[in-house]
Amino acid sequence: MTNTQVPAVRPRPATPPAVAVRPSVRDRGTRLLAALFLAPTVVGIVVFTIVPIIGSLVLSLFHWNVIDPPRFAGGANYRTTFTDSTVLVSFRNTLLFMVLAVSLQLLIALALALALNGRMPVWLRSVFRSAFFFPLVLSAASISVVMKYLFNQDFGVVNWLIGLVGVAPVPWLTSEHAAMATVILVYVWQQFGFSFLLFVGGLNNIPKEIHEAAALDGATGLRKHLGITLPLLSPTLLVASVVGIINALQVFEQPYVLTDGGPGDATRTVVMVIYERAFEQLDFGEASAVGVLLFVLIMAVTALQFRLSRRFVHYQ
Amino acid sequence: MTDSHVPRRTLLRYGAYGAGAAALAATAASWERLTGADIPGRDDGSLVVATLGSAFDPATVEALTQGFHRLHPDIPLRVNAVQAVDWSDFFAKILTQIAAGTAPDLVYVATEGVQLFAQRLGVPLDRWVRRDAAELREYFADVHPSLVESMMYEGNLYQLPMEFNAADIYLNKQVLKRAGAGFPAADWSRDDFTALLREMKRAGDAHFTPYFWTNRLWGGVMPWLFANGTNLLKESKAPGGSWLWDTFYPAADRQGRGGGFRWTTPQATADRVEEAYDYLASLVQENLCSRPEGGNGSNLVGVFSTGRVGVTPAGGFWAGGLHLAGMRAADYDVQYFPRWRTQRHQFGAAGYALLRTSKKQEAAWEFIKYAARKDTMTRLFQSNQTTPARRSMLNAARYAASGPAHWQVFYDTLDRFPDTGPIPAPPQVAEVTDVLLKYTGTALASPRAVGPALRRMQGDLEQAMEREV
Repeated sequence: MTNTQVPAVRPRPATPPAVAVRPSVRDRGTRLLAALFLAPTVVGIVVFTIVPIIGSLVLSLFHWNVIDPPRFAGGANYRTTFTDSTVLVSFRNTLLFMVLAVSLQLLIALALALALNGRMPVWLRSVFRSAFFFPLVLSAASISVVMKYLFNQDFGVVNWLIGLVGVAPVPWLTSEHAAMATVILVYVWQQFGFSFLLFVGGLNNIPKEIHEAAALDGATGLRKHLGITLPLLSPTLLVASVVGIINALQVFEQPYVLTDGGPGDATRTVVMVIYERAFEQLDFGEASAVGVLLFVLIMAVTALQFRLSRRFVHYQ
Repeated sequence: MTDSHVPRRTLLRYGAYGAGAAALAATAASWERLTGADIPGRDDGSLVVATLGSAFDPATVEALTQGFHRLHPDIPLRVNAVQAVDWSDFFAKILTQIAAGTAPDLVYVATEGVQLFAQRLGVPLDRWVRRDAAELREYFADVHPSLVESMMYEGNLYQLPMEFNAADIYLNKQVLKRAGAGFPAADWSRDDFTALLREMKRAGDAHFTPYFWTNRLWGGVMPWLFANGTNLLKESKAPGGSWLWDTFYPAADRQGRGGGFRWTTPQATADRVEEAYDYLASLVQENLCSRPEGGNGSNLVGVFSTGRVGVTPAGGFWAGGLHLAGMRAADYDVQYFPRWRTQRHQFGAAGYALLRTSKKQEAAWEFIKYAARKDTMTRLFQSNQTTPARRSMLNAARYAASGPAHWQVFYDTLDRFPDTGPIPAPPQVAEVTDVLLKYTGTALASPRAVGPALRRMQGDLEQAMEREV
């Protein structure tokens, strides 16, 4: 044995000994101030979001009709939910609504944002932006009441207008096939302004130099949009689609006012079922169980979106 | 270590921050502000009466409150007018108040909620009615026993009916004239009705709808089921109630009365039910009527008053609405619902229900009695927004300005057709209504859809009726 042997394992570089650094008074003051500013939001989230979520989870394990004390039900509410055809249909409707409404909403918003991003007088651009955003600030219930009149098969303005060109009255809200399409149309008309504003912001953030460089390399119209605009807009697209999907999965006012879920169950959504079970049928346990399932669905879809975003979203 | 050494300037600054925050907190704490106790009707010792907000206007509510105060200065009263779209929405809001621990003492409840409130929340009025029988004799003599019976549940009386509306048929006289049709006879049949719709359709343009009806428990498919001698749920009567009938009604009126209605077994697949749906589906197919989901009461007044609708089922409440819409008494009229196998009509009634949770039950009963007085009801129901439960209040003077010419039809629906009954409203009424509305829409999609839709309706109704409310 000699001392010239090379050690098999390279010694790790010595790490400096951990020293407990006590925050300075200034740091502590800053933290305290930050906590004070955050407190209202945190309290709001805890009181109005976290506690109700936990409350719903607990309530979903009980039978409760508001009047009598709650009775423990175990998983009975979930069993009922999984065998209730109305609940199952409402989940199917909601998913269908989500896919169609969000796709349409994003497509329209993107197309209009791209169109307005081109050469256009500033004042005209402002007019369009205001017009597209305006429906979003109105109450969904009020809009739906007005739309119910406009789309009335017998007395609505829409059928009157298409009647002028010889088209027969369309049962917009009373046909199983047309009702969902009408509800989606009304919803998209009201909601696309939000995605539109996001896209306008996103487009403004794309450096002009990249487009100029692509133009020098010979890229034109569609090629530039597909190769540059969309990839660079993908973070905005992700935000718009996440928010859009979460909102669409919770749709209530439009189908409730326009069709009351009908004809039959054609436009009944999950939140409508929650409302009906809780406030009409006084079955708060089952309503909570459906609410918990919707919560799980929203979480799952959002998680899936973020998972997929790793492939499709490009950050500069 | 020097970190713990706080500079004097820093200490002063944070001291100032602290003093400022303390001053702000102290100011906020001492500021006069609203609390939960300031919410009207909460814990101020008043007798709280919840009414459907849109039913009475503020001036009427004021008159009601002041009149009661003059009679009972020792009972502070607060009328809580709950804004709601319909009875179902109203009940939901009342139940939310109950869940929040702010239950009213009295709630204005319509037929739709009578049994639900009676079973879960209500106090029977029997002992007070017995005690004050002498005082109430005049009231019962003026009110049809069918209305009273509709407010009973399992032998007990839960409300004194204040108003009701039977499903009669309103006819637009301008449309009748255009079609060259005469005013129908009181005993007109379903076939007469269909023939009239066809005549109206022939004379109208493409935007004209002869028969407009809505999809709901009252005034929708139900009057047709009643006319065809059937019902959605098998109807029977609870035993009991003789304590009331024997005290207040003569032998002729007591005949067949019981302790309130029972609606039990669903019978959506019964032949007569299917027959009624088939008939309505044929009207839809023939474009003689709107699809039921297309219509609602709010847009109906407008289209009826402008001659775009010929006939529609409505109660006395519509006289006030049409008058406000500018229709003159001569522009429209009212007739009984057409006869099919029977000419049984349906109605819905309303009155004040006393809640179990009330700690002021004696005071609440005094209010119920006060509200049922003729002078009070006259003040409450001035504009023909409903049909008063007291027969004597329906007179020519009341309808002189608003019409219709055949205003007697409203009360005569009860007097001439003694089998006229309330809409089926068991304690599970909310679910029953949802099922009815859902499958009525499905059934009328096409004539072939009726059978399958009714079979599914039957299944869902059975499930609903088994559910404990």
